[in-house]
Amino acid sequence: MADTIALPQVRPAQPSLQFLRVIPGVLLLAAVGYAGKLLEKNVGAYARAHHWTFPNIEYVLWAILIGLAISNTVGVPQIFRAGVATYEFWLKVGIVLLGARFLLGDVLKLGSVSLALVAIEIAVAIAFMTFLGRAFGLRPKLTTLLAVGSAVCGVSAIIATQGAIEADEEDSSFAIAAILALGALSLFTFPLIGHWLHLSDHAYGLWAGLAVDNTAEATAAGALYSDVAGKLAVLAKTTRNAMIGFVVLAYAIYWASQGQAKTIGNKAAFLWQKFPKFVLGFLLISVLATYQFFTKDQITALANLSRWAFLLTFAGVGLRTNFREMRKQGLRPFASDLIGEVVIAIFTLGLVAGAGKLFGF
Amino acid sequence: MSVKQQSEGARKKWLLSVDGWAVLAAFVAALLIRAGVFKHIPW
Repeated sequence: MADTIALPQVRPAQPSLQFLRVIPGVLLLAAVGYAGKLLEKNVGAYARAHHWTFPNIEYVLWAILIGLAISNTVGVPQIFRAGVATYEFWLKVGIVLLGARFLLGDVLKLGSVSLALVAIEIAVAIAFMTFLGRAFGLRPKLTTLLAVGSAVCGVSAIIATQGAIEADEEDSSFAIAAILALGALSLFTFPLIGHWLHLSDHAYGLWAGLAVDNTAEATAAGALYSDVAGKLAVLAKTTRNAMIGFVVLAYAIYWASQGQAKTIGNKAAFLWQKFPKFVLGFLLISVLATYQFFTKDQITALANLSRWAFLLTFAGVGLRTNFREMRKQGLRPFASDLIGEVVIAIFTLGLVAGAGKLFGF
Repeated sequence: MSVKQQSEGARKKWLLSVDGWAVLAAFVAALLIRAGVFKHIPW
């Protein structure tokens, strides 16, 4: 998912050169993220000292806002782009390390609840997005990309599906733009709705993980609510990500049967190729933490390292979001996806409320 | 197969995906913390 519409994909080069090329951008991510952390601490303290009524804005939001301000005013200079695109790497490092904060029992319990909700969400989201695509007269493969992006995991699902169903670059750019624009919108709307509805941390985290499409935005939307909600959002989103192979395989088989994509030979190899490997890393760290491979202090250190990795991710979310670029992609896919996302958000909120009553959270 | 293709192939063999690098980096960090190289990570 390193390649987005705003930031072109990094061209292959010598590994040592690639490493040098990312340094300026990674430093920019660190600077923006750390500025967010400083602003959280100092703006709140300053407002309290002067008896101002000022909302407590978390570092997550500050980092995203600073990134958005840079990206949408002066823009991200070329020298920083390769490094900014590494936000996806930091996101996955953060998720794997976050596994240390979950005991395996919790992962299995919450993961199985998430899995049941994810299965329902995927079926409903795909059916509804397909209906909307037809209603808006979108090209069939663009409809497929939007359906997969909304149902499973945003940009990475779109990129995985694009190759498998041989969709046009133009269709995938449309779908990515719509998913990213709505992801940016969800960062501001989800926490507000959650607070307005007085959702518990568990309920909100599950909801954000189920309804927000892109992993980075789902992680940020969860962390904006609370630390616990952030953990739950990552778990629910990771469960959703694990489904990517099955959904892409189903669509690849469908488009091959229509004679518009190549036939899949070894389906098990295809599933393994599409499976997000960081999910296995997350589970393995969780197993190690459960069997006390780490001391309590070491788990705290791992959790803090995970927060630093997420800090770089949140800075990257802001820096790679360019509204001007998104506007160029046209209104129809966006309008179709917006309606779809609103319906999916309402539906998943109902699902989470039902599960909350059933499992008591 | 040209020399360029061969070197591309050789490079692809050892280059991991973003997921692979992320898992590797996270485990190296976890092992360094486990070994006591980094005792305290502040936040």
